[in-house]
Amino acid sequence: MMIQRRSYPWIKSVVAVLIGVIHFIPLYITITVALKPKTDMSSRWFLPTSVDIGNFLYAIEKAKIFNAMKNSVVITLFSVVIIIAVGAMAAYPIARNRSRINTLVQFFILAVMMVPPLSMLVPLVTIMARIGGISTYWGIISVLVTFQLPISIFLYSNFIRTIPRELDEAALIDACSPFAIFYRIILPLLKPVTATVIILTGVNIWNDFQFSLFLLQAQQSRVVTLAVSTFFAQSSSNFGAAAAAALIAVLPISLMFLFLQRYFIQGMVDSAVKG
Amino acid sequence: MNYDHDRRAVLPEYQHEHRSLIAKLRGRPHITNIMYLPALCFFLVFVVYPFAEGIRISFTNWNGFSQSYRYVGGDNFIRLISDGNLMQALRNTLIYGFGSTIFQQIFGLAYALLLNSHFRGRTLARTLIYLPVLIAPVIMGYMWYFMFQYSHGALNDLTAAFGMVPKDWLATGDRAVVIIVLVNTLQFCGISMVIYLAGLQTIPVTYYEAAQIDGASTRSQFLNITIPMLRPSIITSMTLNLIGGLKLFDAIKALTNGGPGYASHSVSTLIDYTYFRNQSAGYSAAMGILLFLLIMAVSLIFQWVSSRKEIDL
Amino acid sequence: MKMMKKMMMIAGILLIIAPMALVAQGQKESDGVELTFMINFQPTEAVTAALEDAVELFEEENPMISIDLIAGSADYEALMKSKMAANDLPDMWSTHGWSVMRYSEYLMPLEDQPWADDLHPAIEPVITDKEGHIYVLPLDVDVAGVAYNKDVMERAGVDVRTIKTWSDLYVAMEKIKAIGVTPVHIGGKDFWTVGNFFDWAAPSVYVTDERNYSGDDLKAGTFDTDKWELLAELFRDLYDRGYLNVDSLTSTYADSARALANGEAALEFYGNYVLAEAWTYNPDANLGFFPVPAYYAGDEPTLISGERSTVGIWKDTEYPQEAKLFLEFLATPSVMASIATANAIPAGLTTAVSDTGRLQDDYATWGSSEAFPYFDREFLPSGMWDTMCSTGSGILSGDMSTSEAAEKMLDDFSRLYQF
Repeated sequence: MMIQRRSYPWIKSVVAVLIGVIHFIPLYITITVALKPKTDMSSRWFLPTSVDIGNFLYAIEKAKIFNAMKNSVVITLFSVVIIIAVGAMAAYPIARNRSRINTLVQFFILAVMMVPPLSMLVPLVTIMARIGGISTYWGIISVLVTFQLPISIFLYSNFIRTIPRELDEAALIDACSPFAIFYRIILPLLKPVTATVIILTGVNIWNDFQFSLFLLQAQQSRVVTLAVSTFFAQSSSNFGAAAAAALIAVLPISLMFLFLQRYFIQGMVDSAVKG
Repeated sequence: MNYDHDRRAVLPEYQHEHRSLIAKLRGRPHITNIMYLPALCFFLVFVVYPFAEGIRISFTNWNGFSQSYRYVGGDNFIRLISDGNLMQALRNTLIYGFGSTIFQQIFGLAYALLLNSHFRGRTLARTLIYLPVLIAPVIMGYMWYFMFQYSHGALNDLTAAFGMVPKDWLATGDRAVVIIVLVNTLQFCGISMVIYLAGLQTIPVTYYEAAQIDGASTRSQFLNITIPMLRPSIITSMTLNLIGGLKLFDAIKALTNGGPGYASHSVSTLIDYTYFRNQSAGYSAAMGILLFLLIMAVSLIFQWVSSRKEIDL
Repeated sequence: MKMMKKMMMIAGILLIIAPMALVAQGQKESDGVELTFMINFQPTEAVTAALEDAVELFEEENPMISIDLIAGSADYEALMKSKMAANDLPDMWSTHGWSVMRYSEYLMPLEDQPWADDLHPAIEPVITDKEGHIYVLPLDVDVAGVAYNKDVMERAGVDVRTIKTWSDLYVAMEKIKAIGVTPVHIGGKDFWTVGNFFDWAAPSVYVTDERNYSGDDLKAGTFDTDKWELLAELFRDLYDRGYLNVDSLTSTYADSARALANGEAALEFYGNYVLAEAWTYNPDANLGFFPVPAYYAGDEPTLISGERSTVGIWKDTEYPQEAKLFLEFLATPSVMASIATANAIPAGLTTAVSDTGRLQDDYATWGSSEAFPYFDREFLPSGMWDTMCSTGSGILSGDMSTSEAAEKMLDDFSRLYQF
């Protein structure tokens, strides 16, 4: 709904755009840094007098950012699909079956959200090394999926609770098995919340740094965040190239958001807020 | 598991004509429980096992890389109590958690109220506010570092234009902590905004119309309609922000790296520091368990305070 | 409506095929031997390019061996620690100063290698452990002193040849301050830049002067807190007298390099790598180095030597022969010279001569000064480095007094020494 007020809409426009601009400042600064060569010492507020794309070329060549982009895309795609499938499946019994075991399972999933990843990083790397998962797609995907599953289950189960049980029951009268109810009745209704799951978990996976750093060691397996971070190393910093790499890294995810924006907010309306 | 007990408890909710069929459904619903087994498998292998390893390590004096170490009993846990740096980090962690949660609700709600009507520039503003959410926190942290740096920092260039003396913004611990809270807030208030925007759209417009007929002021409409109706959104948003804030890591690494001294460390960054820099993996693991318990306790208290129904997973 | 179902089907199929497909992806088809070689240098550094060239040449000469050179990740040290913990190491890796204290448990002793007799005298003690084993091939030697901007010093009227003791240096700093330039730049957000000061200054207090030598005590597990307090006071004086940059706690190493390049700062306590970094900001900067002053009157200024680029072999590698062959290749004078030249520092073996470029004169002037290894690596137990960094920051931020810093050093010394 929209609150109807007879205020001056242009004031709102000015205020809103101003706020937007404030939020855009760090990105703007990053753009000016990226467009200047390392030897340019002018203030970061000013755009360069002549556009220098040297930083972008350098980032693309040295950090092999396109290869990293490919890895990020593959990893994010696979992870998100698995998160959707496994998460939606897990959410159904949790939302529908009330029992003490399931309360425990819910609590357990909530607890997983709270485990600080750092406190188990080294054991995780050790396991991965033992099962040969270092620098492989499946290794990093399994770990990323694990840590994003709770939020996906959280969103899906909240959403499924808003679907009237009568639907399930009507299907039962048509002699559907419980699994068929999920597959035929529930699953098709999950579309709006799925957009939310895609955006929230997709962004987290695309932006993952910590797990990727330890689990993707081979050069050709590196993802975008790792490519960007090589320019921020303590031994030799190249802010211009780092800024350029950061901008390139942000681009695809921003486009995806612009594309899914409408569904995303709808999904939020339908899931998170109804509890 | 005693199913009879459950059936009795739940049945009264479903006074329905197809009682026998419902009973049938009730009687075997738990078959579908196998559907969460894949998820549980992931958790067992990649969370439970490594976490259990972490607990074992917390009883050793392991340095984090050697193959040799010995068990030292509860020494690491005793050390926790008397560690001044840890106390500081605990204090900071609570500030990061609650500070960013509170600011994010204020900013998020204010933005949502502003953007909850049609006017020019609305979509642009919403997109610009949400954009930072999409950027990796570690990258965002460095972008803000370009702002706060002393020499050649964008903020000092700006204040210099107004004739002010340049300031070393991140040099005092307390100010650094506040700046980190603000940076985290500015990055993630977009999430709260979207949740509140969604929440506002579920409030029936008739409520406000009725209130206007009764002559209620804008303020009282806000307090008596908007806030109560947004309750579920507030709880969802706060839960997400609180856990995120208590686990805050990347922004601190990028902005201050825990400094000056130890003044802006959170427990997360201190765990990282203790593990990889100070070579006390055993002690670091003990801190990890402490942080887990802290987040758990805060969340449980929050859940309890905000009633059990809405937060139900 | 159908979208979700399709999604589910795809997911199901993916889940079944993915493990197979992805495992297949992970394995490389290769005839012959592939060795992994991890280095701490970033892909952007000159030495990385030199190593890449060397690898290429080696692969041409030895078509049955290919080498996968993995240039530094954002946090090489943490990564290597996790790999040691998992006992899953690359066939070869660089040890950035820690071949003995941190990595030796996992490295193959190499003192029987043909090149081992030609070690540069400044590097030999640094990479030799108590039993006389050496674990790495040093490609170069990081011999350094105090890095400085020659133009600034000239303007301030300071002749670095007259600086013999720390008090001489402080007099010089006063002159530099007088002309409006920051005497010393520290990038304290990067913790190591603080610890580096102590690595530079500690030898002059603890070991360079024969009358005040406590190296044996340190190695036997006795830590003299009084001496550390002298050092801490030396450091606090820098701050109290306003010799440090205003943002010494929040700036980075990169800022240090830039300040030196632009003449905003005069002196820095880093190895000569800072000069290389500074030249990327201002290729025309007139930079150099001079030896670290003595603490006690009558003692001589000294240089600091350490590992810079080194290569060790994993003791459990499947291909020890091939890895040793690669090291021998790196040890050939021409290859080694090209790598050391990339860092503009002396080569690690006496058989190779590197082009130290613009620093040639400084090396000629100071080459005869006695060189001491990085203090913490030689005389302190592993893990103390971070205590040095954090207590130093504590002094700068005012959270710690000099005596508290010394006490903290003693605490950690005792804990880590026992380990």
